[in-house]
Amino acid sequence: MIRALEGNRAVIRTGLLAIVALAFAQGTAVAQMRAPPASEAACEEPTLRCATKATPAFGPDGTLWLVWMAGGQVSVASSHDEGRSFSAPTQVTTKRLNLDWGPDARPKIVVDRKGGIALAFSTFRDEAFNGEVFYTRSADGGKSFAEPKPITANKESQRFEALALDQDGTVFAAWLDKRNRIFAKEAGQKYEGAGLFFTSSSDGGATYAEAKLAREGTCECCRLGLAFAAPGRPVAIFRNIFEGGVRDHAVMTFTDVATPGEVRRVSHDDWQINACPHHGPSLTVAPNGTYHVVWYTNGKARKGLFYAHSRDEGRTFSAPMALGQPGRNPTRPYVLAGPKGTVIAWKEFDGEKTSVHVATSRDDGETWSPPKTISNTTDTSDHPLLVSNGGQVYLSWMTKADGYRLIAIEDQP
Amino acid sequence: MRFRFAAMLGLGVLIASAAALGASPALKPFERGTWQSVLKGHSGRPTLVHFWGVTCGPCKVELPLLGRFAKDHPEIDVVTISADLVPNLPAATQSMLDKAGLSSTENFVFNDGFAERLRFEIDPAWQGDIPRTMLISREGAVTTIEGSAEMADLEKWSAQQLSKH
Repeated sequence: MIRALEGNRAVIRTGLLAIVALAFAQGTAVAQMRAPPASEAACEEPTLRCATKATPAFGPDGTLWLVWMAGGQVSVASSHDEGRSFSAPTQVTTKRLNLDWGPDARPKIVVDRKGGIALAFSTFRDEAFNGEVFYTRSADGGKSFAEPKPITANKESQRFEALALDQDGTVFAAWLDKRNRIFAKEAGQKYEGAGLFFTSSSDGGATYAEAKLAREGTCECCRLGLAFAAPGRPVAIFRNIFEGGVRDHAVMTFTDVATPGEVRRVSHDDWQINACPHHGPSLTVAPNGTYHVVWYTNGKARKGLFYAHSRDEGRTFSAPMALGQPGRNPTRPYVLAGPKGTVIAWKEFDGEKTSVHVATSRDDGETWSPPKTISNTTDTSDHPLLVSNGGQVYLSWMTKADGYRLIAIEDQP
Repeated sequence: MRFRFAAMLGLGVLIASAAALGASPALKPFERGTWQSVLKGHSGRPTLVHFWGVTCGPCKVELPLLGRFAKDHPEIDVVTISADLVPNLPAATQSMLDKAGLSSTENFVFNDGFAERLRFEIDPAWQGDIPRTMLISREGAVTTIEGSAEMADLEKWSAQQLSKH
């Protein structure tokens, strides 16, 4: 019924609406229009129950740490019983902030070997939705956090920060930054997208080096994926803007934490669109160095969620493998190389409920198990995330109706 | 004190009534089932439905062009739906519509925390990227433009709609 016709700056599809059938639903529609909750949050307090975004990390002793945004505040708590109960939360922010509420934004957390906790989060600095990235650190096991500071002195716009922890405790940070649009404007040039900027901290996230540009012209509204390819060598995945406004994915392996590498294309999806997909990729690096990546595209070559791997640091990638059921709107893919294999999670929606599906691979991404549904919810939900304590991979999922969930993925490889 | 309270209450009622009376050009909440009522309400008329959002860069460029198109084509029903993936600021939304010359069109704003469900009702394949435009003919044929629309394409479609009647 729907077919692709053409696409210059936009993609045009045609079809026929079943207006008659839809018209019958009008009666129920009117009844349902009475004051539904407009918020994605279950409540407006800074508590975990009210969180719209929650990000996990395991500490070296097996403690689960969770950072979340709720009621305009960022808070942290820990759990010693796999997420069944949490410590009294520590409030990281001291006042209600205009936190970046974009669908791909969330607070970030890494916990180092000594138990030091580094955080990053972003706010909207003005009504034009320009952002500002803040960082903070706890050196006392999460009891208190330093006053959050901007990660860069530049006052233009930064969003979609990501953190990754190296083996030696170095914290690497990357984000999307629009500082160079000023120079483009002054030169009368068009500025497209945003710059991929980065920095690192050699003191566990207490202070960061001066921000540097890795790549100009990346898509400005999608989350980044960040990992370490090897000690001292971060790797990022991002939605790049290739020639002609094609917003396909690329990876960049850094030479070291201060030196960017070349841009290597993940796949030729050919998604030529002048819009904000708000739907970023995910990346994990296996102990043997294999890059596993997942992403969303709506390109001419393929549409939906896809997985691929690279065994040569992103120079070449395997053929994209589709994930999920096309009629169930698969979204928000996440991939994690666990202690015994690789796990992918994503969401699907059937018109009433959202479900999280997982697939697992025991052979470094060559073959995958059939997808398995591991959780459902009937209202809005955060992206499904995966987290490992070194022995087990878990789904970490914040839902509006059912609260926070940490679910062991039992038949993982 | 009581007097002042009564006066304030009266003022409040007055403002609320004025808002209710002026409901037609104001932002309407887009909720579960609204899509079906939009389709029914414009059935048999060529209708352009534009999905956009205040945080969307390309939308800022496209919206004034759409305002011009709506002014030049009174025979086409223009409906805008703010489908931003972030909580909307009604004032910012209305302000952008006003500046774009779209004050008098039928304007909606997503008003359900479960945006996935709203989008699924409109198009199960839509993941929320904006801008997005749906051109609906009198017969119900739909052309979906993902990303910024070319005004020439809109003109062409509009001319086709008029030539058929």
